[in-house]
Amino acid sequence: MTTNACLENPKLAVLHQLLASATNDASVAMCRWTSGLISLTLDEVREIPLPEVCPTLGIGDELLTMVVLTIDKELGGVMILAFDEVNARQLAAALLNCPVSDSPQWSELEQSALTETGNILGCAYMNAISRLINQELVPSAPYFIQDYGASVLQQALIAQAITSDKAVVCRTGFHRHGVDLNWHILFVPNETLRVAMENAMPWQSEPPEAPALKPEVNLCNHTT
Amino acid sequence: MVLAAIGEQKNVGMGEIVVAQAPVRLAAVLGSCVGVAMYSPRLRLGGLAHVVLPRANGAVANPGKFADTAVPHLLGLMERKGAVRSELIIKIAGGACMFGKGGPLQIGDANAEVVKEVLQQAGLRIAGQDTGGTQGRRVELDCGTGELHIDCVGMPRKTL
Repeated sequence: MTTNACLENPKLAVLHQLLASATNDASVAMCRWTSGLISLTLDEVREIPLPEVCPTLGIGDELLTMVVLTIDKELGGVMILAFDEVNARQLAAALLNCPVSDSPQWSELEQSALTETGNILGCAYMNAISRLINQELVPSAPYFIQDYGASVLQQALIAQAITSDKAVVCRTGFHRHGVDLNWHILFVPNETLRVAMENAMPWQSEPPEAPALKPEVNLCNHTT
Repeated sequence: MVLAAIGEQKNVGMGEIVVAQAPVRLAAVLGSCVGVAMYSPRLRLGGLAHVVLPRANGAVANPGKFADTAVPHLLGLMERKGAVRSELIIKIAGGACMFGKGGPLQIGDANAEVVKEVLQQAGLRIAGQDTGGTQGRRVELDCGTGELHIDCVGMPRKTL
């Protein structure tokens, strides 16, 4: 588990500290977005041999609904907001203030609600990491995918697979009024970003300010 | 009504190569990765490599990760189990462009191309293939029949 892994590996401990701070910022943004309904906590930061990443994280051939943000510069990575179908539908319905849809197709509005959630979370998360490593991260616009969880996670792992047979993956859990939800954020930095985060000095006071990233998508009925 | 096949299913993770005999079924979920399946009908022996990247560019600890090392390694494992190159039935699947053409590190096409190139260099003809596209695939090699079943979200199952 994270605690033991971090005790054994000081670099993972630094990553854990940094990503916990980013998760906290994302949680504040998520609380605002959902009127206090949903919060986040960092579940684990792990270094896992490539063949074992998906089974270790319990991600396989089940269909997941995902919002993906990529960071495509030298400091790169992929952030995946993953839900099962039921939870994704419930979140979309709650955000749109309408009944849970039973249509097999996702409407544009439902997709927009989810991608906007990913955008808000992603920007809060990336802003925090940017601030803590004092370098700018530029995430892509979020996109909506329904596919096998493992096939999407594998694509996120490619950048690390080029240089290593192991991958560092960060998993964040969601909670509604203290109850765990079957939603997760998986964050997979590339090698350069991982090293930048590992080398971030443990901050004693307020970390340096970095330019804030603005969400790129706006939901019409978003009220905060 | 279709009854599920009896037999153990073995999942083949990223960069892994597994060889097994009937009634085992070898399964993998593929995005931009490519699954290379080899099958000996005489021995009812199947092998599946889960290729992650096109070329190793030097010595590697894990030959299953790269197309140019995985194919000869899988072939060697099959031959060590008694398979003869001329009897092998080769099928490949995967190599999708997962996050759209604009996404980072789109190596699905390159993975598929190098797999085909290396198979050709080894004198191995591809009997069936399902590569490209923008969706993930779940593949399952039935070591009893040599069939490669391919599932894509929202699509009917294909069998090569």
